[in-house]
Amino acid sequence: MEPRAVTAPSPAALWRPRWRYEPAHLALYAALLLVVGVLVVLPIASVLRGALVDSGGFTLAHVVRFFYTPLYLESLRNSLYAGLGATLLASLLALPPAFLLGRYQFRGQALLVTWLTVPLVIPPFVGAIGLNQALGRAGALTLFLEDRLGVQFVAAEGLRGVILAHALHYFPFILLTVTNALANVDPSLEEAATVAGARGVRLLWRVTLPLVAPAYAAGAILVFVRSTDDLGTPLILNVKNMLGPQAYFRITTIAREDPDGYAISIVMLALALVAVLLATRLGQRREVATLQTGARAAGRPLRGWGPRLLLALSVLVGFLGLLPHLGVVLMSVSRVWSLTYLPTGYTLDHYAEILFRAPQFVVNTLLYSATAAGVAVAVAVGIAYLQHRGRVPAPGLLDFAATAPIAVPGVVLGIGFLRVFDRWTVPWLGVPLTALWLIFPMLYVARRLPYAVRATSAAMAQVHPTLEEAAAVCGARRWRTFRRVVLPLVLGGAVAAGVLVFVTAAVEFDATVLLISRVEQSPLSYGIYLYAQSPRGRGAAAALGTVAVVLVAAGTYLANRIGGRRPALTW
Amino acid sequence: MKVRRTILFLSALALLLPAGALAQANRVVVLTSFPRELFEAYKAAFERANPGWSMVVVSKPTTAGITQIRERAGRPDVDVFWASSVDAFVYLKQNNLLERYTPPAELRRGIPDRVAGFPINDPDGYFVGFAVSGYGIMWNTVYLERRRLPEPKEWEDLLQPVYFGHIIMSTPARSGTTHLTVETILQGYGWDRGWPLLVQMAGNMGALTERSFGVPEAVIAGQYGIGIVIDFFGLSAIASGQPVRFIYPKVTSLVPANVGIVRGAPNPEGARRFVNFLLSDDGQKLLFRPEIGRLPVRASLYAQAPKGFPNPFRMTAGVQFDANLSAARYQLVTRMFDQVITFRHAELRRAWEAIYAAERAVEEARRQGRDVAQAERLLRQAKASARLVPVSEATAMEIAEQVDRDPTYRAAKEREWEALAREAYSRALQLAGQAAQLARGR
Amino acid sequence: METVSTERVLAVEVELDRLTKRFGATAAVYGLSLSVGRGEFCTLLGPSGCGKTTTLRIVAGLVEPDDGRVLFDGKDVTRLPPWDRNLGMVFQNYALWPHMTVFDNVAFGLVERRVPKAEVRRRVAEALDKVGLTGMEGRFPSQLSGGQQQRVALARALVVRPGLLLLDEPFSNLDAKLRVQMRAELARLQRDLGITTLYVTHDQEEALVLSDRIAVLDSGRLVQAGTPRELYENPRDVFVADFLGGANLLPGMVVRRGAAEVEVQAGEARVAAPVEGEAAPGQPVWLSVRPEHLELSVGDAGDLRGTVLATDYLGWTLQAEVALADGTRLQVRGLDPSTPLRPGQTVGLRVRSGRARVFPRRN
Repeated sequence: MEPRAVTAPSPAALWRPRWRYEPAHLALYAALLLVVGVLVVLPIASVLRGALVDSGGFTLAHVVRFFYTPLYLESLRNSLYAGLGATLLASLLALPPAFLLGRYQFRGQALLVTWLTVPLVIPPFVGAIGLNQALGRAGALTLFLEDRLGVQFVAAEGLRGVILAHALHYFPFILLTVTNALANVDPSLEEAATVAGARGVRLLWRVTLPLVAPAYAAGAILVFVRSTDDLGTPLILNVKNMLGPQAYFRITTIAREDPDGYAISIVMLALALVAVLLATRLGQRREVATLQTGARAAGRPLRGWGPRLLLALSVLVGFLGLLPHLGVVLMSVSRVWSLTYLPTGYTLDHYAEILFRAPQFVVNTLLYSATAAGVAVAVAVGIAYLQHRGRVPAPGLLDFAATAPIAVPGVVLGIGFLRVFDRWTVPWLGVPLTALWLIFPMLYVARRLPYAVRATSAAMAQVHPTLEEAAAVCGARRWRTFRRVVLPLVLGGAVAAGVLVFVTAAVEFDATVLLISRVEQSPLSYGIYLYAQSPRGRGAAAALGTVAVVLVAAGTYLANRIGGRRPALTW
Repeated sequence: MKVRRTILFLSALALLLPAGALAQANRVVVLTSFPRELFEAYKAAFERANPGWSMVVVSKPTTAGITQIRERAGRPDVDVFWASSVDAFVYLKQNNLLERYTPPAELRRGIPDRVAGFPINDPDGYFVGFAVSGYGIMWNTVYLERRRLPEPKEWEDLLQPVYFGHIIMSTPARSGTTHLTVETILQGYGWDRGWPLLVQMAGNMGALTERSFGVPEAVIAGQYGIGIVIDFFGLSAIASGQPVRFIYPKVTSLVPANVGIVRGAPNPEGARRFVNFLLSDDGQKLLFRPEIGRLPVRASLYAQAPKGFPNPFRMTAGVQFDANLSAARYQLVTRMFDQVITFRHAELRRAWEAIYAAERAVEEARRQGRDVAQAERLLRQAKASARLVPVSEATAMEIAEQVDRDPTYRAAKEREWEALAREAYSRALQLAGQAAQLARGR
Repeated sequence: METVSTERVLAVEVELDRLTKRFGATAAVYGLSLSVGRGEFCTLLGPSGCGKTTTLRIVAGLVEPDDGRVLFDGKDVTRLPPWDRNLGMVFQNYALWPHMTVFDNVAFGLVERRVPKAEVRRRVAEALDKVGLTGMEGRFPSQLSGGQQQRVALARALVVRPGLLLLDEPFSNLDAKLRVQMRAELARLQRDLGITTLYVTHDQEEALVLSDRIAVLDSGRLVQAGTPRELYENPRDVFVADFLGGANLLPGMVVRRGAAEVEVQAGEARVAAPVEGEAAPGQPVWLSVRPEHLELSVGDAGDLRGTVLATDYLGWTLQAEVALADGTRLQVRGLDPSTPLRPGQTVGLRVRSGRARVFPRRN
């Protein structure tokens, strides 16, 4: 630079953003945009296109026809009914223990929390198999009721079964958010109300509940969305007239280009989108309600009949939550189990089948999930880095696109994948991309990227920029700084997120079932479905289900150990 | 060191990528609707009998398999279609999606031309039968004892009120074998008696499953007592020690399960090897395995069959199955079944429940010596309404082709049938209610 | 990358040439020029938001100026990234890497410079010894006290033998006693090593104690640079006078102009003060008197009379706030602690001769 004679710079020369964008960042940005664009944006856009565009250009005809087809309207009604029912039942199951855990302090509290979150480790469609054995038409408890009380009541059948399976699986969402909110309610707010004269029930009603309500609503909406989105549970419980199954039937048995399938997808997408947006807004409100001033409400001791009743209810809920697990595990070791409370013959043969004779389900799952977890973490770290440090135009765009799948039902994403990648021919192999096993890791990356990005981004936000500056001053170039400082600091959160991606990918069913073609490529979730389809295979299906439960439980434990004690399981 | 690690990583990736993806020279891709036990056994045996060859299985319901082959016409990604449903093969053949293939003479030796009057192989040579299947009724003995239900023998037995809510079947639109059962009943009883039988039977059903495998599963578990199934579900369940039994009703058809080579198959030699293996003695004898339980087409092998194994060449089937007819009205029958029965099952059940209640009320009134003529008349009307035949056989044959070809027309018809069914079942419900009130003297 | 000798690197001479940096519409630094001599301890002093940290970050290479140059030993390094500038820097929050031990933190810069392992060990040990942390190598930052973290940060900055040491309010997170102790240690280290040092603080006492030279910044501009004594005794304007040492300001008017001094009438007081440049009679000025330059006497003798508002008894000294009749409040420091003062008392104030300063005042 030439020295100049002026004593102060001329105003025109003042604003000169020389390093506005960073070339290395731009390159990473472009690469990640490409990845997210292909994996997320393209499939979703393709579904929209399938529903809204035909040979004559833009059209609403297919969507309008949805609302004039009684079968679809009935499916919509049933899905909403099942979603609301599951939310309501989950609330009934979750609120008593949430209140107990958030408000009281007693021995064995931690144990109770763990016990009550155990239902989360069983994927709902696996749980449905177990539930059937407990509360289905030939379920142990159903038979017991009939034999001892003469009551013929089948709890787990049809829509009721879907509701029950979802409520039993998802109630911990509500439990965790509400317990957290209760524990985090600034005690001074309640103290202020007490000073102002509110006591007992009035205090609860006028101060505590309104403070906890947003957290509850966020949890409840999550339950609703997951329930209306689900395909696996209705399929296993043989419920056809719901949105997920109808979309699946249209696409797989009518035609891949059937516009009705896309119209159903759009309705599902809209439903999920509205709910997720609502939950996000409530989540923002929640932060205001639980401003923490440091002091946490000290738990009260368990005294009096009220809390004891709560404890009894919580234990009952805990047992109910274990029914699916018990059913699946018993089924997996049963040889004959027909119209009896417990199996009449036991065998370990089902495990021999899935572990030795047909190990590919487990092997494939490990391969796909590990690949997906690795890629998702790598992509998430890149996105988080650019979001917080990137010198690129609109860094938020990438984050937005990567977290969009959180509002996309698995069926819809699966349909999008099928529509896009079935047309992509792999060079030099000459087969469509959907014929390669790589399609599954791709799918799982797309589905679970939001969780990875959120966790990694949160970890990245914890890294103070001066830590990187210090490294730069110490002589480390950008890449070295990233490797030696940023990466190790973010890795804890990222690996925890990766483990969660791994376990949720391992039990992904809704989109997998749409994309599966070759049996040798099947992951565990589809293997369960496949086994469940042959008379002798139910035991093997349950054995695979048990493996899934063990995988998820171990992964969740691991993720919590690595990433702190925030249970963040969602699928 | 860093460079070395990068190279290691890249080569690992390169190794990983083509696993199961790269086109192998010696392989065959088989699209099948058969259960795991069956295709896994055949995969193992085929690969043993053809060293150096590998078999890739694509498992799909028959209907989804047809969709896949149709949508990939010209650039198929499978070599062989392997399934039960004859009319699926007829459909594929008529749509020019199969390759003609005649197995070597020594493999055809000992396979009769017909079983119970039905041709085992396609006369034009587009597909060959490798096993024979019949359709029948399976039940859970514990279940029937528990509820003191009689064992059914014929399709008509299933119309009895005692079985209300205890029967289960699959839907023809999703299950090829169920479609064959439905066609067997339609052909065996004729359209005009067959439809009412099916509709009324469905009124007695506790559930209609999405998957044909759901039926034996539910019967074995004891969720439902009686299932309408293809024979090997029953045979294999019995063989695995489950408390179930199976019978062939008089009106059954014996139909071959088939295999055909897809037109333009990428691995034609593999495809031929697979078909040949199915017809070889080794391939045929696999069918006797308890977990498979199917009937071979080579008649001479029955001497080596396990005890109590049925021999189709000694049976007389009540129905001469017409595969061309079945294929021609495939879309019509499956769509209509869905609209009139599958998706309207709840209303249909309620109607029959009300009819049975009304029947009991009328019976009670008759015993008390009251005049039940009017009530009986209403009841007859209700039953007629709840045994809806949406279109006559003549109309059906007239529109079948357009239903198959024109999705818009099909969608319109579907809506029409749905409205018809809603109407009919709600009228039946209403009439039965009136009959019951009348009989109770109110 | 330049090869960096593992032997002692000579301290550099720094020159900042008309640096300007804007964030949005506001200029954080505007036309700032400053030279720091070899081995000099120079402090950038100013209130928060004055641009001192931005200036330091420009020198470090963490912020690129919109205009102007940074020269090390006459070489333009404006566009050189931080890792090529051979610096040591201590951040306000220390910026110790939480996932590394004390050893790894200190060794970081040496590893980046590809220093052989044995020498890394030797030099880390040496650096830790210098800051008195021998034996703490295996600890993680979270296991250290604030003062210990501070020392690790210092050791990390010094171990690479930088040509220039940058410190950004390094003591602001320490308690008062520790701050004084660390201050002395830093002064000793800096003297021993003879390293050129640029120090950012808003604490005038720190600046006065440590610096060879102080540069006072206000709103992104350099107001005055000089030795602590120069700045304290001859502040260029009201801002410097008030910021460095504190000042009582009385509005007044020049009544007489001498050769190198003026007489100013401020209220009832008439005070003489040295002056340079223009100051014609009738011109409005600020009369600036430091609190310790006011003499207080009980009663009403003196240049100014006022009422005691409050007193602060500090043990070794006494200070007071006095309100004049027109409401102006004056701080008085350095009183004999035995002076019997109580609020409400009438007192007289006298400006020590030669201690008052005048600055131009705009109406």
